[in-house]
Amino acid sequence: MNILFLLIPLGLMVLAAMVAAFLWAVRRGQFEDMEQAAVRILLDEDRAP
Amino acid sequence: MPPTETPVCFHCGSALPAGATVMATLEGEPREFCCAGCETAARFILAQGLGGYYAFRAPSAPAPGRARDWSAFDRAEARRRYTHLRADGRSEVSLRVDGMHCAACAWLIERGLERLPGAQAAHVDVTGARVELAYDADRLPLSRVLATLEQLGFQPRPLAFGNADTGEDAQRRAALRRLGIAGIGMMQVMTYAGSLYAGAWHGMSPALEALFRWVSLLVATPVVTYAAAPFFLGAWRSLRAGTLGMDVPVALSIAAAYAASLWATVTGTGTVYFDSVVMFTFFLTLGRFVEQSVRQRAGERQEAVARLLPEAALRLLPDGGGERVLPEELAVGDLIRVRPGERAPADGEVVEGGSEFDESLLTGESAPRVKGAGATVAAGTLNLRNALDLRVTRSGQDTTLAAAARLLARARAERPGVAATADAVATWFVGGVLLIAAAVGVYWSLVDTPRAFPAVLAVLVVTCPCALSLATPAALAAAADRLAHAGVWVVRGRAVETLARTDAAVFDKTGTLTRGTPRLVRVELLAADAPPADAPDAERQRQHWLAIAAGMERRSEHPMARAFAEAAARDDVAHVRNVAGAGIAATVGGRSYRLGRAEFAAPGAFWRPRVSDDESLVVLGDATGPLAAFVLTDAVRADAAATLRALARRGLRVEIASGDRTEVVAAVAQRLGVDSAAGDLSPAEKLATVRRLQRQGRVVTVIGDGVNDAPVLAGADVSVAVGGGTDLAKVSADLVLLGDRLEPLADAVDVARRTMRIVRENLAWAVLYNAVAVPLAASGHLAPWLAALGMSASSLLVVCNALRLRARPAAAFASGCTTAPAVA
Repeated sequence: MNILFLLIPLGLMVLAAMVAAFLWAVRRGQFEDMEQAAVRILLDEDRAP
Repeated sequence: MPPTETPVCFHCGSALPAGATVMATLEGEPREFCCAGCETAARFILAQGLGGYYAFRAPSAPAPGRARDWSAFDRAEARRRYTHLRADGRSEVSLRVDGMHCAACAWLIERGLERLPGAQAAHVDVTGARVELAYDADRLPLSRVLATLEQLGFQPRPLAFGNADTGEDAQRRAALRRLGIAGIGMMQVMTYAGSLYAGAWHGMSPALEALFRWVSLLVATPVVTYAAAPFFLGAWRSLRAGTLGMDVPVALSIAAAYAASLWATVTGTGTVYFDSVVMFTFFLTLGRFVEQSVRQRAGERQEAVARLLPEAALRLLPDGGGERVLPEELAVGDLIRVRPGERAPADGEVVEGGSEFDESLLTGESAPRVKGAGATVAAGTLNLRNALDLRVTRSGQDTTLAAAARLLARARAERPGVAATADAVATWFVGGVLLIAAAVGVYWSLVDTPRAFPAVLAVLVVTCPCALSLATPAALAAAADRLAHAGVWVVRGRAVETLARTDAAVFDKTGTLTRGTPRLVRVELLAADAPPADAPDAERQRQHWLAIAAGMERRSEHPMARAFAEAAARDDVAHVRNVAGAGIAATVGGRSYRLGRAEFAAPGAFWRPRVSDDESLVVLGDATGPLAAFVLTDAVRADAAATLRALARRGLRVEIASGDRTEVVAAVAQRLGVDSAAGDLSPAEKLATVRRLQRQGRVVTVIGDGVNDAPVLAGADVSVAVGGGTDLAKVSADLVLLGDRLEPLADAVDVARRTMRIVRENLAWAVLYNAVAVPLAASGHLAPWLAALGMSASSLLVVCNALRLRARPAAAFASGCTTAPAVA
């Protein structure tokens, strides 16, 4: 079970990365509009004006 | 029942008016439009290569408005006010854009704007009705941006830079950060707690247990100090105000459990409660976040009254010229010109000219008021007839309009809500919990000191006021969310409670049961040599006269002219002369015509048209006599009858109270099958109708549209504004019906009733749970971890019960038909 003494601090680092990614996403406004992103990919500029 | 196929406008998706449509061939496909404006918008969109919009958008688009003069926004003053110069030399502008409702709209706007020369990046937020644009102000004038948005069929309005909006955004982001931190922290701490529990059963080395405790402490600390900070602040605030809010026991139990766990971890003794702490924090934060975001979204819809002011004012210069300025720039003493169809930008005194003004917005009086020299004109009122010059007497925040808005805001703030009751109950509940906890603490410290702290903590934690503090807001928020999808914005969360109990509905007529704008019903041929109505030639003649009349009405700003806006119009119109109170005279194709009242268009003709009480007449005539009559009516909404029936079936007493003529109201009421209808009512009399029903012990819902309903809406138990209404009305309403349909109202009543049933279920559960759990915790039979588990399970149960409201019947969406599910 001694491996846990390594794995849990490692897990903590992953956790820190997760929190950092989340904070970054919030700051970039990625949670502002949850509906548009899903449909966006369907809309394509296939014809130039 | 298969959905009926009605022809709709290619662009805006509204039903095509009978007989008066615009046909056009676009990209090889024949398309039908409801009006020339929609056709223009569609052409513009396709010409930009943005046709993908039509493939992916939600069923309806906004109908385009009239092209406006945006040039005032190119002035230096406007630039300073609305745009922000970034360090890289680009300008930023924040626009409020009405009419967006789906991702395709956002795409259309982004592409449309980014194609403009000088535009850099556009960011569109559909839910907030907001567009942010970064652009090069030297190459791209702001007026072009606004005009482009208008051409795409949306209604833009720049927002003054650095207003309160950014504060709300920051608040929302902070709440989201807190929620995320609490959620991530909870997931971690729960896994550690799981290991600790498993270790407690099967044995675990003390070193490993210490590791888990320290790691839990590390993760739980930001959750408590950051995510739970609002609870501590709230508790502190409510204590300072001398009340016991819900936050007090929450803050107390979080703080106590955290402090005890900290102590246990440092000293390596006792029990840790980190799992309880983070779980508690997360669930409470989640509940608040959901409630807050729903409320905020609704709040964004009520933009300031300023929107009733025109975008620009025409200021007259001493040299006789004029310049377009912003209404905010006007100073007392300025001379301004208000042209027909425009709203007055400031309060003023008529210096020259005379006209009629529609003051319905401020006074509720629907008949136009005649204004001559010396008369005062209020900001926001609509000039119906002729251009006239005003000397500004009050502008900006001093105008009557601004004062009225402030009054409304205050009236709203003072209105007692059910919220007070909930707070009062909470105070007693919290007081009770604290007393019990104190009693338990005293008892155990006398009897068995080591058991005192776990018992007190268990009491504090186990008596989760979840049904009150979490499940009720969650249920209300879920209901609001569910209603928003159905097309009803809940502006005030508590409105749902009252809506559930409502048993009377008072409808306004104009703009609520009816569309509020006149529509052309039929064209009657009146010329002496006119063919019989059903002759093959007749339709062609009708079109001919209609095109002439429409051409003349394009030059008029009279409200009636809007009925002709959808028809194809002749453009060889000249020598236009507006005759106040009578009509319009002009030459079309070289022949002179008169259009308007019968006495004006065809004087001396002994002929009375047959129209019913809710119809009105515009006659076209020339020197030979009357040629054609256009019958207009304020059409009843397609789903009005079905909605009223649906409400009646739900046990509501339906009444109509209108300021319109009694005959008109009676005709509409008869058509809709409503027995109780009254016309010719002033706002005060409408309010009296509401009060009468309230005295009968009824809970009254008022459905209205205009600002003239504002006092009535404010006096109602629940007020509903129909989306077509002005923004001020929305501000004073509890609920807003989006779009052009009344139908969601019946659905809203159902949802509200289901919501209250769920709230009652949750309260019943909470009583039962607390009745069992508190004695167990107080007697020391409940370990704090078990208490937290019980509390969390209980919270989950009530929240999940509340979230059942979000589920909606698929059938309501699949069938687009307006009839109530009588056949189902």
